[in-house]
Amino acid sequence: METLRSALDFSDFPRLDISVAGIIAIFLLVFPLFPHSAFAMATMIQFLMFSIYGMGWNTIGGYGGQVDLGKAQYVGIGAYTTAVLLIRWDIPFWFSMPLGVCFAMAWSFIIGYPLFRLKGHYFAIATIATSLVLMDLFSVWEFVGAARGLEISPIKYHYPDFLRLLFKKDIYYYYVILSFFFAGILYVNGFRKSRLGFQLRSIRDNEDMASSLGINVHWAKIKTYAIATAFVSVVGSFHACYIKNIEPQDTMGLDLSILIALMAMLGGAGSLWGPIIGAAVLIPLKSYLKAWLGAAAGLAGIDLVIYAVIIMLISALEPRGIWGIVEKVRRRRRR
Amino acid sequence: MDILIGSLVAGILIGMILALVALGLTIIFGVMDIVNFAHGEFLMIGMYTGLLTAQATGIDPLLTLPVAAMVGFLLGVICYYGFIKYLVRGPMVAQLLGTFGLMLFLRNLALLIFGSEDRGVHSGLLVGKSFVMGMGVIVPATKLAAAILSVVAFLAIWLLMKRTKTGKALTATALNAQGARYMGIPTDRMNALAWGIGCASVTIAGALLVNFWSVNPFVGILFTMIAFAIVALGGFGSVSGAFFAGLVVGMIMEIPGIWDFLTYTLNWDWMANVPMTSLKYTFVYLAYFIIMVLRPRGLFGWKH
Repeated sequence: METLRSALDFSDFPRLDISVAGIIAIFLLVFPLFPHSAFAMATMIQFLMFSIYGMGWNTIGGYGGQVDLGKAQYVGIGAYTTAVLLIRWDIPFWFSMPLGVCFAMAWSFIIGYPLFRLKGHYFAIATIATSLVLMDLFSVWEFVGAARGLEISPIKYHYPDFLRLLFKKDIYYYYVILSFFFAGILYVNGFRKSRLGFQLRSIRDNEDMASSLGINVHWAKIKTYAIATAFVSVVGSFHACYIKNIEPQDTMGLDLSILIALMAMLGGAGSLWGPIIGAAVLIPLKSYLKAWLGAAAGLAGIDLVIYAVIIMLISALEPRGIWGIVEKVRRRRRR
Repeated sequence: MDILIGSLVAGILIGMILALVALGLTIIFGVMDIVNFAHGEFLMIGMYTGLLTAQATGIDPLLTLPVAAMVGFLLGVICYYGFIKYLVRGPMVAQLLGTFGLMLFLRNLALLIFGSEDRGVHSGLLVGKSFVMGMGVIVPATKLAAAILSVVAFLAIWLLMKRTKTGKALTATALNAQGARYMGIPTDRMNALAWGIGCASVTIAGALLVNFWSVNPFVGILFTMIAFAIVALGGFGSVSGAFFAGLVVGMIMEIPGIWDFLTYTLNWDWMANVPMTSLKYTFVYLAYFIIMVLRPRGLFGWKH
């Protein structure tokens, strides 16, 4: 009860933040009722998925300061668990999703225990290495379709199947992921005010100091890593039902891991709104650049060149992200 | 037996070139404490430089090294003054993602210019020739020449780092940048030099590699990860460590060959069914993970 009240309590934000967030929340709720293109709908779903990935990354990477570039392996674990269970034994999404979270968290404990002995760059590259090892193993494992991946055939289910999460129309997917999105915001809001959240921020600011104050640094990091994993794995399960065609390269590749970290950093790591802002800027940019410049204009790669230039500019000029700019403006005004 | 010796020899030869690839990364890391994700992309640029120079001028691909080195050096210096200089002021997350952005930029620029198809060398003095070394071991002449030339390049850079005044200034910057600045060493210029030398060594490796490895814009990330593994094994910032670690990682990449040998000798059926060749690079990543966890300093490292 106490934790729920803490999660629902946004009163430590300025009033402006809350009203903007409220307007955006209402917009997200009513967006599908207005006329929209299928492309816009797909982009919105991608945006919501990536904001949840970003929120997960933000718990360990933003509040904890541990740069994790291997989040995609947990997307893969969630997606594969759901897809395999659905295809082989017809087990619905709402059972396979928690199971996928359990698998992902178990794996995160196994590799997190040795991983968190490392710091900084070493940790970041080691997470990439574990992610690539897992991807390679999945690409040769015949049980999960090896490099071809798995495909969920949607033809069997003509009516909207809420149990298995197989729909013909994107609008159902939209509302499912939107509810996950709101739940994620509430959880992170509770998390940042919880004991673990404060412990984690003190670890980010000064690890030696934190451990001398009696915080079990290693264990706090592992716990938070598992929480971040759960976020990512849930969306991974959703990804399997939504995309219906999963391959090792798409769900576990390095590009996805980096995109997740990038999103949170672009928006502003270590703040509640950061990952959401990052996803809101980057996902539409990416998909519209691709639609306008990529395949249509016959210039393969130019969309990613522009995208890369934006990444480079942001990381060189404003490393604290968009939210960092907002806070800078606020601080100047208060003075 | 010949399979085993063949894969060991192949492992050593590729290891010598990989050592040169990792040398650039370890210099940059040692001097500047920044992890360069774009490293493999510089290799890709070196490969294209070697290939295109050879095609345009008609000289042997092995002799394009000076051109590749020059392009690499300029590219490194430009990258430093244009981008990395601003990047290092920010936090570590920004540095990692910034060099990742550089990687995406170079990769997709190459895709835009060269297209996505594989390209390789088809003509040259040594292409198609090979040495038979007894016991059924055959060494392609291009691989042998590339390995020898990469050892020469490695030695040259090692001497530059250890025996010249500039090299000592670089080492001083690596050990303690602030102290070096007090001693009158222009650390900013040294950082640029580190990027220049690092990029030049990797583009040389690329120009050597293109003799027997076809190039496309996506070739980089694999070599970036291999170079990370070598640098981790040899110790971040250690030049001589990079050489030995390169040989070790070359061997690790030949594990499928050794596995084949064991399969034939032991004649166990289940061993033949393991898809070893597709797991070729998995062992490299796994080695990286294990080394980092057990001995984060690497075998010869001094920087922690």
